[in-house]
Amino acid sequence: MTEFKVNSRLSSLILYLFGFLLLWEWIRPVEQLTDTSNVWVFLLFLLIALFLDYIGLHYMIRFILKGGVILFALYMLYYTETLGPFQSLSFMIEEFFYNFSVMLQRDWPELTNMFRSFLFFVLLWLMTYLIQYWLINRRQIFVFFLMTLIYITVLDTFTPYNAEWAIVRTVVSGFLIMGILTFYRELEKEEIKKGKAYTRKWTLPLISFIFASFGLAYAAPKADPIWPDPVPFITSLNEESGGSPTAGIRKIGYGEDDSNLGGPFLPDNKVVFEAEMEFRHYWKVETKDVYTGKGWVPSAEGEEKIPFSMGEETPIESFVDNGNVQTTEHSSFVQMLSTYPHVMYPLGVTTVDGDRQYSMELNPTLEKIETPSSNPGFVTDYSVSYERPRYSVTALSASNNENHGLDSEFYERYTQLPDNLPQRIHDLAAEIVANSDNWFDQIREIERYFSRSGYIYDQRDVAIPGPNDDYVDQFLFDTRRGYCDNFSTSMVVLARSAGIPTRWVKGYTEGEMIASGTDDRNRYEITNNNAHSWVEAYFPEVGWVSFEPTQGFTNSVQYNFDMNDDNNSSQQQEETTDQPNAPELDENRTPTDGQSDKLTITAIWDKVKDVINDYWKIAAGILAILTALIAAAYYKRGRWLPYFYTWWFKRSKKDEQFIKAYLTLLNELERYGLAREKGQTLREYSKVIDHSFETKDMSRLTAKYEQYLYRGSLEKGIWIDTQKLWENLIKKTIA
Amino acid sequence: MTEKMHPVIEQVLLNIEKVMIGKRKVAELSLVALLVEGHVLLEDVPGVGKTMMVRALAKSVGANFRRIQFTPDLLPSDVTGVSIYNPKELEFQFRPGPIMGNIILADEINRTSPKTQSALLEGMEESSVTIDGVTHILGKPFFVMATQNPIEYEGTYPLPEAQLDRFLLKMKMGYPAPEDEIEVLTRVQKQAPIEKIESVITLEALTSLQEQVKEVYVDDSIKRYIVELADRTRKHASVYLGVSPRGSIALMKAAQSYAFIYGRDYVLPDDIQYLASAVFVHRIILKSEAKFEGITAEQVVERIVATTPVPVQKVVK
Repeated sequence: MTEFKVNSRLSSLILYLFGFLLLWEWIRPVEQLTDTSNVWVFLLFLLIALFLDYIGLHYMIRFILKGGVILFALYMLYYTETLGPFQSLSFMIEEFFYNFSVMLQRDWPELTNMFRSFLFFVLLWLMTYLIQYWLINRRQIFVFFLMTLIYITVLDTFTPYNAEWAIVRTVVSGFLIMGILTFYRELEKEEIKKGKAYTRKWTLPLISFIFASFGLAYAAPKADPIWPDPVPFITSLNEESGGSPTAGIRKIGYGEDDSNLGGPFLPDNKVVFEAEMEFRHYWKVETKDVYTGKGWVPSAEGEEKIPFSMGEETPIESFVDNGNVQTTEHSSFVQMLSTYPHVMYPLGVTTVDGDRQYSMELNPTLEKIETPSSNPGFVTDYSVSYERPRYSVTALSASNNENHGLDSEFYERYTQLPDNLPQRIHDLAAEIVANSDNWFDQIREIERYFSRSGYIYDQRDVAIPGPNDDYVDQFLFDTRRGYCDNFSTSMVVLARSAGIPTRWVKGYTEGEMIASGTDDRNRYEITNNNAHSWVEAYFPEVGWVSFEPTQGFTNSVQYNFDMNDDNNSSQQQEETTDQPNAPELDENRTPTDGQSDKLTITAIWDKVKDVINDYWKIAAGILAILTALIAAAYYKRGRWLPYFYTWWFKRSKKDEQFIKAYLTLLNELERYGLAREKGQTLREYSKVIDHSFETKDMSRLTAKYEQYLYRGSLEKGIWIDTQKLWENLIKKTIA
Repeated sequence: MTEKMHPVIEQVLLNIEKVMIGKRKVAELSLVALLVEGHVLLEDVPGVGKTMMVRALAKSVGANFRRIQFTPDLLPSDVTGVSIYNPKELEFQFRPGPIMGNIILADEINRTSPKTQSALLEGMEESSVTIDGVTHILGKPFFVMATQNPIEYEGTYPLPEAQLDRFLLKMKMGYPAPEDEIEVLTRVQKQAPIEKIESVITLEALTSLQEQVKEVYVDDSIKRYIVELADRTRKHASVYLGVSPRGSIALMKAAQSYAFIYGRDYVLPDDIQYLASAVFVHRIILKSEAKFEGITAEQVVERIVATTPVPVQKVVK
């Protein structure tokens, strides 16, 4: 018997192992195709979760352990840099609340990375449960196996993921797992308890079958696909269905003149450049600062350009270097496929390095880096180093219209608006930011405004403003549909109206991933379709921060929901204690601002201490009373337990109830003082019971139970027939 | 027991009771053995009705009854039969011995030499005997009821333990109760009642009953219980040699048969407990110190039965 147990433990271990392998195939492409890094953490979680299921601990323990693993992983991934474990817990809770509110608003792009990872963990958790259910309970895996294959092949077809070996792996482990499961199903069906002798007989053909089919499939000649790449076909189908292009439509792409925006665009697949990136980021080309009512122009033409050479630090200051922005050094490689004199670079660029025969210069107004007009050239291959920012929300939330301390010239330049801007734009801006008291919250309100208010992304049916129309006004109030220029320009105008310094940025999105590149980089292809415009806002003591108002686009920006250091928090602590009469200050704060001192660990602990100090006597009293009640209930259980059992077992008419009811009766009789001796058979025992109760009920009931236990058959309707007997007996045990 | 007996068995028992008064339990156990083709060893002093019992049983089932009176000078060929040269036909002719019957009474088996005992015991085990190179299949059913005088009597050859194992059951007759004995006297006054009884079932019917007994269901929990009992005899402090797996099998078969007699198609722990002594006692060898202390095998088995937990729930696998 023990031998069989070992055997079945081993077999379920094998099942779990292959279940893990199948799940792994789902995770593998994620690393390559998305921005997800640290995939091993998720794999580790899968392993731990399946292992815990395998050892079969109590489900509550498993739940706690898995939840703990998730929290720990999130902590290691997102919080270790700045905070201790307990402090991070409070921030994690804060971030959860924030994300729940975002989810309620269906503002999906706003979800933070931590929360996305959390959701992914939960998804994996569900998957492990399903795997366990399929493998151990249902003994069927075909559907999951098929889905895995479909998933892999679809990815292989439509993405750069190369699934050649993934398919082989999946088929081999899928076949194995199905073979093993069939074996167990057969064993169970035939009620063979010692499967050991059959295991070998089954294993050998199974393995040889798999290897034969694998070998045959691998060695057999394979025809070329009759449909080499369905992707262009599908996109062309999409274009055809859109109807013929109308006259006057421009092709999408990068242009220098933005003074007259508006009008429809046609897609253009021409590749501009390819890039290898560690992280997805937008590519900037230039920024513009003056809104004319029709479009954008630079504030100063022909300004003195700043020359610098390849590999030298670029003269662009993106962030204020005072610790409010944590940065990590990264680099991306660009290979130009169209000829432009300018260079693409991400926000936070530090150096541009390429063919050293070229010198570069920076147009300080546009922040455009290009080869000098005196010595023009086209740099085809270059690398860009940049600092990837992680902004402190505390610092971002520190400034507002009254308190920004910015140089007035700078401030006016980036809050410039035409004098004839329609008043309703100002009114709208004031309305949007009315409930926020700092720039960061305000600009995020504006950023979200477009998706909340149902503005539509469209490249075709886009109006050109008439001679008396304002470009932004037309989009915001009349047409309500447009593409990136409409959204980004409108956001800048609204933000400037609210007094927040912003500028308009032109460039490209990250494009489409085509392959995995060197190191941890992925290779992206950027076409004219990826030409884009967005918004940057300036925060004092922080620097420039990107915002993405356009529907359907995301440009993930990392924020730190931190407090800068401990001093800061203790200061705030003092402030609040000093100002007990000003609670209204706190009320306007949203859970996102991270400054809220309601949720710091010390504050919570203080509150808990207060509560304990105030109520411990009551709590101890309640506890003592409860304990006494439970003890009393236990000692007097003879008074009420039989009633409880009568009620409990009468709820169901199922025959299985009879068994439990009978065994409960035995226990109750023992409690009553009529214990059965070890070597006493049920029949002898029931004679004793019947003798002492002067009935025949126990013998009659026992005869039924004997039939079930020793004959292996449970009569239909037995519980309905015997309930009366049972009830008579259990009532006799009432003390 | 308030259960209804199997009607055919009931008739057989009633038939036997016409002859044997107050010995229903012994008759029942003999039937238990007969139904599973096992053999019975009756141990008791002479004159308590052992022979009468077997004859009554044989007559009731219409079986061919043979009796072998074992004496110290009995030869194996007296049991199995012998080939005799027939000068008329110039060849050896086989003259079957008393073992070629259906129901054999081997009276006072411990009075003869081990050599002759073996001749019988081998026939019991293999259901065939080989004489002069020719194998003779014994009758079916083949049922041996051996009797022996308690071994402390003089001039006996005790049966080896290995051969005792071949008997399904060992039981004692005991003296009849005074009232029963008076009734016996009354009955034999005119004519021995054994002459009057007739068969109630045929041999074929008996064979079919034997087949039905095999179908009696034995639950896993019961099998576990049997094995647990056997195992405890092996581990018992007073026991030198415990019950073999053959003993476990014997107990299960006997229990099936007993359940069948009582009209059940499944075995109860009560059956096991009832039969444990009869099946186990003669298979146990006690340590000599236990014997000196006056412990008997019966006591050991009783103790084990009383302390081994009876299965009252399904075994959780």
